[in-house]
Amino acid sequence: MDERSPDALVNKEDIGSALPVSIPSAPSGIGPALAELLKHPLWAITRLESGGPILPSLRLLTGGAVCFVAYGAAAGFFQGGAQVGLAAMKAPLIVLASLLLCAPSFFVFGSLAGADLSGRQVAGLLSAFGGMLGVLLLGLLPIAWLFSFSTSSLIFATWLHVLAWAIALWFGWRFFTLAFPRAPARNVAFLWTVLFTVVSFQMATILRPVLYRAPGTPVVETGKLFFLEHLGSLKSPEPPKK
Amino acid sequence: MGQLLVVMTCGAAFYGAVLGFWRAPIQALYAAMKLPLVMVVTSCLTMVFNWMLATLMGTRMTLGQVTALTFLALATASLVLASLAPVALIFTLSAPEPSTDARTAHNLLYLFHTLFIAGAGLAGTARVKGPLDRICRDPARSRKIHYAWILTFAFVGGEVAWALRPFVGSVFFPVVFLRGDAFHGNMYEFIFSDILPHLLRWN
Repeated sequence: MDERSPDALVNKEDIGSALPVSIPSAPSGIGPALAELLKHPLWAITRLESGGPILPSLRLLTGGAVCFVAYGAAAGFFQGGAQVGLAAMKAPLIVLASLLLCAPSFFVFGSLAGADLSGRQVAGLLSAFGGMLGVLLLGLLPIAWLFSFSTSSLIFATWLHVLAWAIALWFGWRFFTLAFPRAPARNVAFLWTVLFTVVSFQMATILRPVLYRAPGTPVVETGKLFFLEHLGSLKSPEPPKK
Repeated sequence: MGQLLVVMTCGAAFYGAVLGFWRAPIQALYAAMKLPLVMVVTSCLTMVFNWMLATLMGTRMTLGQVTALTFLALATASLVLASLAPVALIFTLSAPEPSTDARTAHNLLYLFHTLFIAGAGLAGTARVKGPLDRICRDPARSRKIHYAWILTFAFVGGEVAWALRPFVGSVFFPVVFLRGDAFHGNMYEFIFSDILPHLLRWN
């Protein structure tokens, strides 16, 4: 995804030297913006650092949200029917709420680690991060759909999506290493990504069930549960499928 | 230093409110009052000892410098805690209602908050490493002082927090501002003899 190894980037000046002399203006459409984020992630970062408008980043987040809707729908095919629509609604909610909850810590962690962040940059970076996660999940969507549709094991389907999410998060963290190439901020970005991961699991637990809803049960279960307990409870007998 | 004190108080109060929110709203209020107190009392109790440690390790620091660095460390920790408050709140809201059956939830929340506070403390002490390096001008000596200060903050802060308990609020005791047996036991003993054994099913 990156055009240069993060290890080779020593400071912000190095980021600048790794780029073409003039960065093209941000694409106007959501699709081209996501494609550019995949091919040239540094461009989005550099535009933010050079005081560019935040609108392109918000466009990335919007694109990411559309991808989450699509991925959620694919995951919902595990049960099929109305659950396709419900999962499509819940998936973007899980990610966007997690981003919102973790935004203050991103600003404080980053600032403490020496990154000179403004509120606009935080919003822009998190939006681009969301866009990156979305586009990666979109790439994994056909595989997720195939397994969701064909498997009858809730445990297998759950862990498949956990794996897909882990892959997306890994590349999301790699995106941050481009924004924060130096050691303290880079390590803190990893720590924050772990925090975001845990929060996203908890959000998924709060908005459960995502993959399978037993007949007669509410759209969102009301009982309070930690995500570890939720994952543990998947050991219970598998529900009948379809 | 006044500004650092304000940041320390506000940040800790914000997180304290989340800390006590699980047990009862009144516990949230108590914890919002007590967590800033933990920070201030820990600062007061460690300052002179930290200054002595630095002096014994061969660094000439004034008590004013140590005071400023102590406040900087704890204000930073409070700021980190405040930034983590939304995350802590979502986990608090996801925990089962407090009852005698919710011991596991209490213990998980206790560990979770302890980890957050310990992490914030480490971030706070990391913030003073730079200024300490500049004052000491000897990286090895600065590192020793830094580690010694971390230990001091951890032990003193842990004990002060224990004396001012409850924060999360036990499911077996009523909500109170301070316990009658405030100076009985310590936080580390509680974690290793009660919290972890229950979570790991040792007893």
